[in-house]
Amino acid sequence: AQRHSQQDSHIQYERVGADVTMKCGSMDWDAAVTWTANGTDIDDSHLNGSYLILKNVDLTQSGQYSCYEGSSWHLKYQTYLRVGTPPKEPVLMCRSNNYPKGFYCSWHLPSPTYIPNSFNISVIHGTREMVCEKDIFPKNRCHIRYLQLFLTVKYKVTLTVTNALGKNSTSLTFDEFAIVKPDPPESVVAKPVPNNPRRLEVAWQNPSSWPDPESFPLKFFLRYRPLILDQWQHVELLDGTSHTITDAYAGKEYIIQVAAKDNDIGTWSDWSVAVHATPWTEEPKHLTTEAQVTETTSASTSYFVPPPTTKICDWWAVRP
Amino acid sequence: LGAGQSIQKTYDLTRYLEHQLRTLAGTYLNYLGPPFNEPDFNPPRLARAEQVPSATVDLDLWRGLTDNARLAANYRAYSRLLCYLRGLDGQAGTAELRHRLGHFCSSLQGLVVSIAGVMSSLGYPLPAGPAGPPLPPGAPAAPNDFLKKMDDFWLLKELQTWLWRSAKDFNRLKKKVPPAVVTLRLEARGF
Repeated sequence: AQRHSQQDSHIQYERVGADVTMKCGSMDWDAAVTWTANGTDIDDSHLNGSYLILKNVDLTQSGQYSCYEGSSWHLKYQTYLRVGTPPKEPVLMCRSNNYPKGFYCSWHLPSPTYIPNSFNISVIHGTREMVCEKDIFPKNRCHIRYLQLFLTVKYKVTLTVTNALGKNSTSLTFDEFAIVKPDPPESVVAKPVPNNPRRLEVAWQNPSSWPDPESFPLKFFLRYRPLILDQWQHVELLDGTSHTITDAYAGKEYIIQVAAKDNDIGTWSDWSVAVHATPWTEEPKHLTTEAQVTETTSASTSYFVPPPTTKICDWWAVRP
Repeated sequence: LGAGQSIQKTYDLTRYLEHQLRTLAGTYLNYLGPPFNEPDFNPPRLARAEQVPSATVDLDLWRGLTDNARLAANYRAYSRLLCYLRGLDGQAGTAELRHRLGHFCSSLQGLVVSIAGVMSSLGYPLPAGPAGPPLPPGAPAAPNDFLKKMDDFWLLKELQTWLWRSAKDFNRLKKKVPPAVVTLRLEARGF
């Protein structure tokens, strides 16, 4: 028989593990009905009279449930069941990567809820509420523009997340200076120095998101190591955006990264993208036969001589 | 000492004081006890606290400050903050805390002198009447212990913020006042 659907369906949210009872609209308990889930008939074991009983529901039971009157097959009730969870305490992070322009806050849920959530963020500064302008992308993020600098009053940011099954919130209180963290340096380049088997020249640029390096200079941290070793060497650079490594192991490929920090406040950026470089090595000479013989016997006994200044690792560990 | 070196020295002293204050303020706030030593303590700023010179400034205004105005603002602020801080160190509970506060006051006095040195090396007059009365006339002392502690809290907070601002001020000055140029200018004026 033809099933007639004129009932507009609504959404019903239920927690994972809940027991769900659905009535067939206005039908009596003892009326003859048929229930379907996503168009598939549900067997009578789930029925109590005309009521549909779903025990300890799980995520897979989300779907469209419909109830038809036994004889006329008229649709008497229809709902879209969404099984999910109430939100856990959201994770909120605020950061100023473009000081002194302002700061942004971003958030996420520690675990999915499987149902739609709405987020509300409030930023209080002293007695004033500030508007956190939502960014189009990425989604869960908004930003605040500083109107003044060098403020003693802290900012309090409160994030509330709500869905049909519950509500949760978290808040952060911070000073203007505490959340300053630049983006990593950009365009990191490393190259050998001709005729210098122990040197590498490294250069980089201020992160493009840092608006005023003149007034708010950055300092940098460079770390480098040969691929064959795990131990990094570090050097802090108070200004300038280049450095020459002078104690590289001859002929060994190096991995190099740079981080940035405001000269006076806040915390270090993440490390930049890693770059690789190998110090300059002399071109092999064009050998005559006799020279070749002497060369071959000495090649097998050549040593890899670590720089005298090596303090951090036992030089024997690097012998070939 | 050329202006450039004088500015660098003042910048370094500012950074030293900022570092010193971080630990000193932590100790003092612990002495004040809860809620003053709680990280999220974020009290409204009472009218009383407005007497302490505020480092807060409009960004564009700050950028547009002349060197003279920038230095004068620092000089006035620290002169006044020093007065308040001296009022603090007389009553702080433990002898060790009083000693550390006293030492910090001496260093802060050094900063005031250093700023004065930069100003004179650049040919700027010192602002008149740097210190001013510890409390403006008519402003009552804190009526109770909690408000007294609140005053102390805001004083330390403002001082910390001023030291952050000054680091930026002197960074800016360092860039704008290369040593060589200044020496020439002074000679041209027949000094």
